[in-house]
Amino acid sequence: MAVPIQQKSTGARALQAWFNPLKRSAGFLAFVLMRVTGIGLVIYLLLHMVVIGNLLRGPEGWDALVATMKSPAVLVLDVILIAGILIHMLNGIRVTIIGLGFGTSSHKGIFWTLMAVAALLLAYSGWLVFTK
Amino acid sequence: MRTTYHVVVIGGGSTGAALVHDLVLRGFKVTLVERGELTSGTAGRHHGLLHSGGRYAVNDQESAIECIEENIILRKIAPGSFEENDGLFVAITDEDVAYLDKFLAGCETCHIPTRVLTAAQVKRLEPHINPQVKLAVQVPDATMDCWRLPMRFFATAKHNGADIRPYNEVIGMLITAGTVTGVRVRSHVTGQEYDLKADIVVNATGAWAEKVSEMAHARVPVKPTPGVMVAVRGRWCNMVINRLNKPSDGDIIVPQRGLSVIGTTSWTVEDPDRLGLPEDHVRRMFEKGGELIPAVKHAPMRAAWAAARPLIAEGGAQEGRELPRTFKCFDHKVRDGIEGLVTISGGKGTTMRAMAEATANVVCDKLGLDIPCRTKEVVLLPYWAYYQ
Amino acid sequence: MNQHGRFGPTRPITLKILRYKPGFIDPPRYDTFQVQADPLMTVLDALEEIKATADSTLLYRHSCHHASCGTCGMKVNGREQLACVARLVDEGTDEVVVEPLGSAPLVADLVVDMTPFALHMAPSGMALVRDSEFMPEAERPAGVERYTRYEDCIECNICLSACPVANTNPGFIGPAGLAAAYRALVTGERPAAEVFAYVDHDDGVWRCHSAMECSAVCPSDVQPGHKIMALRRELVAYKVKRFFKRG
Repeated sequence: MAVPIQQKSTGARALQAWFNPLKRSAGFLAFVLMRVTGIGLVIYLLLHMVVIGNLLRGPEGWDALVATMKSPAVLVLDVILIAGILIHMLNGIRVTIIGLGFGTSSHKGIFWTLMAVAALLLAYSGWLVFTK
Repeated sequence: MRTTYHVVVIGGGSTGAALVHDLVLRGFKVTLVERGELTSGTAGRHHGLLHSGGRYAVNDQESAIECIEENIILRKIAPGSFEENDGLFVAITDEDVAYLDKFLAGCETCHIPTRVLTAAQVKRLEPHINPQVKLAVQVPDATMDCWRLPMRFFATAKHNGADIRPYNEVIGMLITAGTVTGVRVRSHVTGQEYDLKADIVVNATGAWAEKVSEMAHARVPVKPTPGVMVAVRGRWCNMVINRLNKPSDGDIIVPQRGLSVIGTTSWTVEDPDRLGLPEDHVRRMFEKGGELIPAVKHAPMRAAWAAARPLIAEGGAQEGRELPRTFKCFDHKVRDGIEGLVTISGGKGTTMRAMAEATANVVCDKLGLDIPCRTKEVVLLPYWAYYQ
Repeated sequence: MNQHGRFGPTRPITLKILRYKPGFIDPPRYDTFQVQADPLMTVLDALEEIKATADSTLLYRHSCHHASCGTCGMKVNGREQLACVARLVDEGTDEVVVEPLGSAPLVADLVVDMTPFALHMAPSGMALVRDSEFMPEAERPAGVERYTRYEDCIECNICLSACPVANTNPGFIGPAGLAAAYRALVTGERPAAEVFAYVDHDDGVWRCHSAMECSAVCPSDVQPGHKIMALRRELVAYKVKRFFKRG
């Protein structure tokens, strides 16, 4: 015998957002990472152009900017940027390979391997950023 | 020709599917209401056997003849819808072998083509068969898709103008002076209730026929008689494997898609909505199925479920498998003095078209019309045409 | 575990079910029901019990009850499954959330409109029946030229619901339709040029972003993601050949 418990309203139509990798497998996570890093890199590119625009203000403005760029907070942002580039680039390799019909059955393995490579390269770059 | 008569069909199972198809071809205005999804009752749930009639050739020859005739017709009007690999009635024990002569004689009477195979031949056809096999008889069984075959009837009927309304439940009958003049319907989509006027109402609800006819204070002697089926992963045979003996539990394995479906058992229930799933029946499917093909005993189970046969118990104390598997069409004017209501029940998936033909004939008779049935010739549209 | 003793002790499980009836239960809400689940009880069994004993207006699609018709696809705890083979206790939660598939218009409660899906499947040209690859050593009886069986794809719409691209591009043919086109190509059911014309465009084979979630959720071993990739390979090879023939 099934028992009704309570009836409560939740408001909006509760169809799940497509951006949620919870309950999903590796390929879905790769898809979400690709989107997020892609959007992040586009935003970086715009910021970068604004920053480069400071060159037009002459040497003083530029020197001040370089000083800011050397602050630890910005260095952390640099590491995040590098992470984004690595993930996007290496996952791009995965998409290209399997997108042409090769290695499809081991796409999860390829993904995790490339992400391991990304993690190693990231650790190395982080070390470079903070010590050199 | 096109009549101005409106027929309301209750029940979107295989009978309802074939019936709306038949009625619109004869020119009727037809509305079908089904409380849930189409084929969500017994129709979708049977083991998917397109009967050759062999199963009934000894004890229930009327059914057997219906089966072989419809088997041939359905293959013709629904091409590409079946796994056409034939079937075997296999003898495992000496008792099975002793049944052979009766079986062959029955098949001959019913015009079911047979071919007797030796044990060695059977093993070459079906490598997983019980090695104890003594002999087998080949018959024209096949596998049907219990959802897509009725949907071909629905699709064709819809394109010919039938109004098919799933998720609409009949909650009452409109009765004026002893005549059923329509039905009261509740839409489970919008939550609204409305009336549907009809010249004739057909109750095609199978195992639910008694529940529905009670709304008009009419009586139908239908006994919901469920059977348990178990689907295991893997296709352990390519042909339908039947036990060469009188009908009993676990006497058939129907290969289908990437599965093997073992069936079935038999008991009676009062409420077709509450079948349950008896544990010992599930176990018995593995045991008895394993006598035909030992490997299914250890194959991973994909699903276990029950479906209610709509058996007609007209008087007497017969129960379960003793009841004939043929169908009956009741004109409630004759039975209960209620005009405007017809009930079709009994039968089986294989005979859906014949059930529809018989019912449409009764509808025509009641309205004093003489319009021939065309469903033996009209080739059905693909099932997805239902959505176009 | 073997089949003996599959049934076992029951435990209470709460189902949290999305309810929606346009103009009636609108906006949607969740209703909760409690059932006593034995180890074999599926989500569909629970829905049947709720419909029979607690709320006869509950709508859901179902037909065959053994993962062969493809009508009962729904989201169970956020992941697409066939309700008829999704066992409640396997979810491992005391509350199981049941919602309709995404990327298809919602009709009512757990029922979605299959029309857009069918419109993408139908033109793929895949036949319902294929040659059986099981037991290749088996001989065939007189009168049976080839052993056949139904295609793996049961057209349940689960892959589209799980596909991140289909959720934002309603025009996308989708995993099932593309996989079906690949089958039609492989079996020779349709000429290659026709199949490629059907899939070679923005909303076709190139729209896929290789999330491969379709292959992960497919209940019927179709592996649509893998077939999309194979279809691309065939298409590229076809284009390259055609380019050099022309040149």
